[in-house]
Amino acid sequence: MNLPFHRAAAVRRTALIDFGKFFLLAGIAVWLLSAGTRGLGYDWQWYRVPRFLLSTEGGVWTAGPLLQGLLVTLEISTLSLVCTLVLGLTAALFRLSASFTARALARGYLELIRNTPLLIQIFFVYFVLSPVLDIGAFASAVLALSLFEGAYAAEILRAGIVSLHRGQWEAAHSLGLGAFDTYRYVILPQAVRRVLPPLAGQAISLIKDSSLVSTIAIYDLTMQGQKIVSETFLAFEIWFTVAAIYLVMTFGLSLAVRALERRMNGAPLRGVGGLA
Amino acid sequence: MTAGEWIIEATELTKTFPGGVVALDRFTLAVRRGEVIVVIGPSGSGKSTFLRCLNGLEEIDSGAIVIDGIPLDQHRKNRLLIRQEVGIVFQSFNLFPHMTVRENIDLAQIRVRKKTQAEAAETTMELLKKVGITEKADRYPHELSGGQQQRVAIARALAMSPKVMLFDEATSALDPEMIGEVLEVMRALAAEGMTMVVVTHEMGFAREAGDRIVFMDAGRIVEEGETARLFEAPREERTKAFLSQIL
Repeated sequence: MNLPFHRAAAVRRTALIDFGKFFLLAGIAVWLLSAGTRGLGYDWQWYRVPRFLLSTEGGVWTAGPLLQGLLVTLEISTLSLVCTLVLGLTAALFRLSASFTARALARGYLELIRNTPLLIQIFFVYFVLSPVLDIGAFASAVLALSLFEGAYAAEILRAGIVSLHRGQWEAAHSLGLGAFDTYRYVILPQAVRRVLPPLAGQAISLIKDSSLVSTIAIYDLTMQGQKIVSETFLAFEIWFTVAAIYLVMTFGLSLAVRALERRMNGAPLRGVGGLA
Repeated sequence: MTAGEWIIEATELTKTFPGGVVALDRFTLAVRRGEVIVVIGPSGSGKSTFLRCLNGLEEIDSGAIVIDGIPLDQHRKNRLLIRQEVGIVFQSFNLFPHMTVRENIDLAQIRVRKKTQAEAAETTMELLKKVGITEKADRYPHELSGGQQQRVAIARALAMSPKVMLFDEATSALDPEMIGEVLEVMRALAAEGMTMVVVTHEMGFAREAGDRIVFMDAGRIVEEGETARLFEAPREERTKAFLSQIL
């Protein structure tokens, strides 16, 4: 947060001290880790890792199992994110609806999903629903993740919608706008902008939670890591690498969202003109 | 059904808020086409509630409201029609903060009146000229002063070409030096023959622009009458007491 007194304090503190503290902490972390592995007598073999990322055979670059897994993780996450937003928005609107049935339905969905573990939900969708619906492991994974994250996204979106001043609804009402137009042009653009940070947090959770789909035989990043470790016993190197790849994904996403936020604040989004 | 002389007919309205506050108590008022009604009274007397009931922002418990021959009943179609025909200007402006001035005024023209972008743009510029802020068309509401925001809000309501305009304490949230510019727009509108129901504490405006004054207290009409008569010779004791406090 950029409160004025924070900024003032930051000016007084010299950057040098900050850097010093950072490197000191980083140094301690590295020392602890290396001391720990020395104690274990672990034999680091980083040189064996690159081939699992990229390999050259006859001068042709091909993606190694880790990159292939990353691709699957990205596919699942992207598809699930889209479904999450659709499902979340629907559930949020149902919860705010005047209809008792819609409210009860949304409430039941939210309580059910948020009070049971994701792993059980993935198993349920894969072992119980997928034979009934006749869908594969990949679709089951997307469905389970969307159902789970959608419940949280719904609450975030609902909070954003109810946080708007009543006057916005009243102004839309008195201009004769219908419910769809009111949400589409007046309420949602403002609500979504307000809840962009927690929504981005949910998207990051989704990427991390997607690692659980490795339990239903999907060769995502985690599953590939697991397979390599069981074949090569490079536990530390591979898991560090896998973690770093997840970190790059989530950190990249939060940077992208931050850029989006800045752009929205700088030049508020196009309204009716471009959308009518 | 033809509407005839009366454009607003409110009959025996009652409204009790949860908690037992009686906002309207068998309130009856009819407004002629082109008439400017100014509703005055102490705070909590039900003035704003009356206005908000007229376009369906609040529900009445009993009674009947008919706007230009259309009853404000449980039929969705009628309610929608009335929302489109009755414009309201709020105390707190309620502009859409994520849209420019132009987009605020365009929105309902395009989405509700189904005008093309070009038609809407033309009307919008005319209206901005009318309220005297053409140069702010591409600014966002937060870049405008309170008086300018309220004038945009008036233009936005007018963009629907409403048959009736309601003003709910439109100048109460403004700094004193900005009240004049908003009242001027309202005066011009009254002079053009717009039917207006105005809730205000600005007695100067009431005297000058009002055709009829309605003095309300505790959800009822205490006294109503032609502007000059009511200000010069109020009949009721409560009206006299109120006017002596406020003038």
